[in-house]
Amino acid sequence: MTPAAPLIEGRDLTRQFPMAAGAVTALNHASIRIDPAEYVAITGPSGCGKSTLLHLLGCVDQPSSGSLTFEGRDVARLNETERSRIRLTRIGFVFQRFFLLPMLTAWENVELPQAEAGVSRSERRTRTRELLEYVGLADRIDHRPSQLSGGEMQRVAIARALANRPALLLADEPTGELDEVTGDQIADLFDRVHADGTAIVVVTHNATVAARAGRRLAMNSGRIVAE
Amino acid sequence: MTKFIIAALAAALSVVSAAATDTIPAVLVSRQLAEGARLHVGDIVTIALDAQGHRGKRFRVAGIYEPTPDPMKFTARRIEARMHLPDLIDVAGAPADAESPDAVDAINIRLADPNDTRAFSASVMARAPGIFARSTARAEDGSDPFAVLDRFHFAIAIVTVFGSTAFLLALMVMRAEERRETVGIVRLIGISQRSILLEVLVEGLLIATAGAIFGVLFALATQGAINRFFQWRYDTALVFVRVTTRIALESVALAVPLGIAAGLVGSWTLLRRDVVALVRR
Repeated sequence: MTPAAPLIEGRDLTRQFPMAAGAVTALNHASIRIDPAEYVAITGPSGCGKSTLLHLLGCVDQPSSGSLTFEGRDVARLNETERSRIRLTRIGFVFQRFFLLPMLTAWENVELPQAEAGVSRSERRTRTRELLEYVGLADRIDHRPSQLSGGEMQRVAIARALANRPALLLADEPTGELDEVTGDQIADLFDRVHADGTAIVVVTHNATVAARAGRRLAMNSGRIVAE
Repeated sequence: MTKFIIAALAAALSVVSAAATDTIPAVLVSRQLAEGARLHVGDIVTIALDAQGHRGKRFRVAGIYEPTPDPMKFTARRIEARMHLPDLIDVAGAPADAESPDAVDAINIRLADPNDTRAFSASVMARAPGIFARSTARAEDGSDPFAVLDRFHFAIAIVTVFGSTAFLLALMVMRAEERRETVGIVRLIGISQRSILLEVLVEGLLIATAGAIFGVLFALATQGAINRFFQWRYDTALVFVRVTTRIALESVALAVPLGIAAGLVGSWTLLRRDVVALVRR
C-alpha cells in the first residue's frame, strides 16, 4: 500500500433494508474516503444513515450496492471469517452503549480481543496494563462494568478498541450517554488516540466532539450532503 | 425336604399351642403369612382346606422364609406355606380320586447342567403329550414376558429422550436468546464464529457432563428409596430399580452428545443472524 492510498474507501454505497411495507433506503449512493491517521466526524439528524455508514465502514454490514475497500482489499470478496479478522485486528469499535461484556472485568474485556488474535500471555499482560493506564483506569482493572461509571465504561471500551493496535477507530455517539464533562474527557482521549496515529471516524450529534475532527461530513436522507 | 408351595391358602389357620412336640409335622410359612397371622417359630397351627377347618391338620411352624421375589406376581399377597409332600396330600389331596396322591399340577426340576434345558424340555414333551415343559430362564428368542416388558421400557425411554431433548432444545434456544447481545458484542469486536462455537461446545460439554453425572448420582441415591417404597407397597423383596454400570454409562453417553448438540443448535440460531441485529435494542 502506498502512503497515498486510502485506509478505507466506499464508492456509491447504498444500503437498503427489506421491510414488510417496502424496502427502506438507509444509505443512498454515498461515497467516502478515509486516509490513514485521519480524524473524521460525521454529523446529521437521527435516521440519516450515519450509523449504517459506520457499520459498512466497520465491515459489520455489507452494502446493497457500491464498493468498499479496506487497506486495498475489496470487502465484498471477504467471507465472514476474514471480515471478523479485520474487525479484530484492524478496526476498533466504540459505541454509545459501551457494549462491554458484563461478566468480565475491565482487564478481561481489554484482554479478550488480544487473546482471540493470538497474542502471547505476557504481551497481553503488558498491553492490557498499558492501555488501562492510558485511559486512566489502572486502579479499576478488577472491576466489572456494573461497578464502573458511564465514563469509566467508555474508557474501558476505548482501551478494548485499541487492544490490537487498529488502524481505524470507529465511534458511534461515544458521548451520547455521558454528561458534558465526562464527554469532554472522552473527546480528549480520542484526541490522544488520533495523535498517536490512529484514524478515527466518529458519528456524533455533539458539536463539540465533531469540532475536534480534522474533517467533518454532514449527512441527510442517506446521503453525504456537505464536507 | 421336598417342598411345595401352596400359592393361596384358603384354609383356616389357627394357633393352638406354643408347645411343640416331635410328632407334629413341620411347616415353613412365608414372612407375609407369619406377619399377617402373627406366627412365630414353634407355634402349632392348623392348616385346613377351607375356612370351616375341613380336613384340618396340625403343624408346627419350623421356620419363616422370604418368598423368592417373582415379578410375575408382585401384586399378589404371598400367603404361602411349604410342607412335606405326604402332609400336603393329607391336606389337599382328593380322597375320592385314587390317583390324587400322585397328582401334581407343576413341578420344578433342577438340571445338573443348565445347558441341557432345551433338550430336556423337548424330550419331556415328546415323551409325555399334554405336559408342557419350559425353562424358567428367559427365552433367547425374546418371546418371554420380560422381553416384552424390556421392549416396553425401551419404548418409554425413547419417548422420554425425545421429549426431554425437545425440552432441552427449547431451553437452550431461550438461553441463547438471553445471550443475544453478548454474542452480538463479541462478534462485533471480531471474535470469530469458530471461537464462539468452540466456547459453546466446551460449555455444553461441561454442563452436559455435569448434568449426566448428577442424573446418575440422583438415580443411585433415590433407587433405594424407590425400591423401599414399592417393596413396602407390594410387600415383596422384589428389586424394582437397579442402576447398573451399563445403564449409567449409556445415560452419560446419550446425555452428553445431546446436551452439546442442543447447545450448538441454540447458539447457531444467533450465529447465523446479522451482527447489527444482535446488538440492536
